[in-house]
Amino acid sequence: MFPSWPMRFQTTPGGSSKSGGESTDSGSAVNTLSSKAEAQFEPESPISRKASNSSDQQAFDQKHLQLQQQQQQQLHQEMSNDISRTGPSQNQSAAKASQEKRNGAGSTSEKQLDAKTLRRLAQNREAARKSRLRKKAYVQQLESSRIKLTQIEQDLQRARAQGLFLAGCGNLSSGAAIFDMEYARWIEEDHRLMAELRTGLHAHLPDGDLRIIVDGYVCHYDEIFELKGVAAKSDVFHLITGQWMSPAERCFLWIGGFRPSELITMLIGQLDPLTDQQLMGISRLQHSTQQTEEALSQGQEQLQQSLIDTIAAGPVIDGMQQMAVALDKLGNLEGFIRQADNLRRQTLHQLRHILTVRQAARCFLVIAEYYGRLRALSSLWASRPRESLMSEDISCQTTTDLQIVHQPSQNHFANF
Amino acid sequence: MNYQTESSWGSYNMPTRKRLASENAVVIFSISTCCMCHAIKRLFCGMGVNPTVHELDQDPRTGKDMEAALMRLLGSSSAVPVVFIGGKLVGSMDRVMASHINGTLVPLLKEAGALWL
Repeated sequence: MFPSWPMRFQTTPGGSSKSGGESTDSGSAVNTLSSKAEAQFEPESPISRKASNSSDQQAFDQKHLQLQQQQQQQLHQEMSNDISRTGPSQNQSAAKASQEKRNGAGSTSEKQLDAKTLRRLAQNREAARKSRLRKKAYVQQLESSRIKLTQIEQDLQRARAQGLFLAGCGNLSSGAAIFDMEYARWIEEDHRLMAELRTGLHAHLPDGDLRIIVDGYVCHYDEIFELKGVAAKSDVFHLITGQWMSPAERCFLWIGGFRPSELITMLIGQLDPLTDQQLMGISRLQHSTQQTEEALSQGQEQLQQSLIDTIAAGPVIDGMQQMAVALDKLGNLEGFIRQADNLRRQTLHQLRHILTVRQAARCFLVIAEYYGRLRALSSLWASRPRESLMSEDISCQTTTDLQIVHQPSQNHFANF
Repeated sequence: MNYQTESSWGSYNMPTRKRLASENAVVIFSISTCCMCHAIKRLFCGMGVNPTVHELDQDPRTGKDMEAALMRLLGSSSAVPVVFIGGKLVGSMDRVMASHINGTLVPLLKEAGALWL
């Protein structure tokens, strides 16, 4: 941006002057002068300039005007040098110009020159003003980028802290780091949506409005499954070992995420009142998720067995070939994560389908709170004092803390 | 598990009484070493269905052609597993799973005579 300043000055006289010979010379003249101007003003920091009030700008304008006058004098020099080149008419105007300049700027003897001068001055002022505006915009852009950068750095630090906190994995791959960051953002979004669901239910919003929030929550889950799909392509191990989850959630890890049938079991007690038809639907859903989980688990077991067979195969005849086969089989892991996430997504969609809008809102709120508590449990567990003498006090303390952290209805707690 | 010798699998698109016989009600195209195929076979067996399985890698004559044709049909890079129920194409693992979760798979199986209860 800044280097463009001299260029701007270069074009202005080119635009204003009519005679061809003048323009290039004046351009170069202005160039040197404006670069001198830059040298003069550069020590000032752009921030202070930006923050300065109009008086400074007036001072700048004044200096600018002086510069214009200096430029005119320089031009006069150039023009007198060029008199041999230019035509007689120009000779005359040039002579008159030099005469006028010797008299001092601003005399009214030659109206044409005055107009030219005034026009040039005005254009330079305009150029300077535009330049200042551009600089302001640029600096504002820099400032907002700086804020964004610190936010991203904080996100990354949080994600890395979570990563290190989760059983000291050293360097995350870039795919894993990116996913962890996206997941951290997803968690924040989850909190926001949870609050929206809660206030929506308490405010007894009409079904139409509540439906929008509920469907938004379903989309929110669709989003994380999509992110996981992308991450699985770059770092399948990170996903399937649950490194991105909190430790408490990881206890219940199944093919890179939660087990849908377990989620339904958790929900069953908390969704009443349900109609008979709904109860049947939920029960059928629980049954079909269990069957599908079983099938996927068996498929994954076969994959593991096949990997063992490949890697453990007796005397190694061709190590590279063996590794290539093993790598090929490992590639199937991504497919299993995809199908497992597909199952999770279908389960949530089916829940939405079976339940009314209000029931679905309550259901998703319960789900969000449940996982929120598991995450809270993980951090509390990690920060607990390790002295065994205080163990009983600690357990009481954690319960109280959990109650403070989560305000909503206490009856959910009975299950834990 | 039957070993089909016909190569014109297109005929599966036209359900006839013969095709709806219980052994042919569910047809799975598979590859013996494919783990996802194993998962889908376990799913149907777990539901009490007895599917007919075509292991394309064990069919020396038409296996490769069928694999290519299935890839074209599905428009995906993996031909297997593919499931036909009652002569109609259901699809790959994700379609089968989606229909099981949303409750349309069991009625489809009953209609095709693959499930009785």
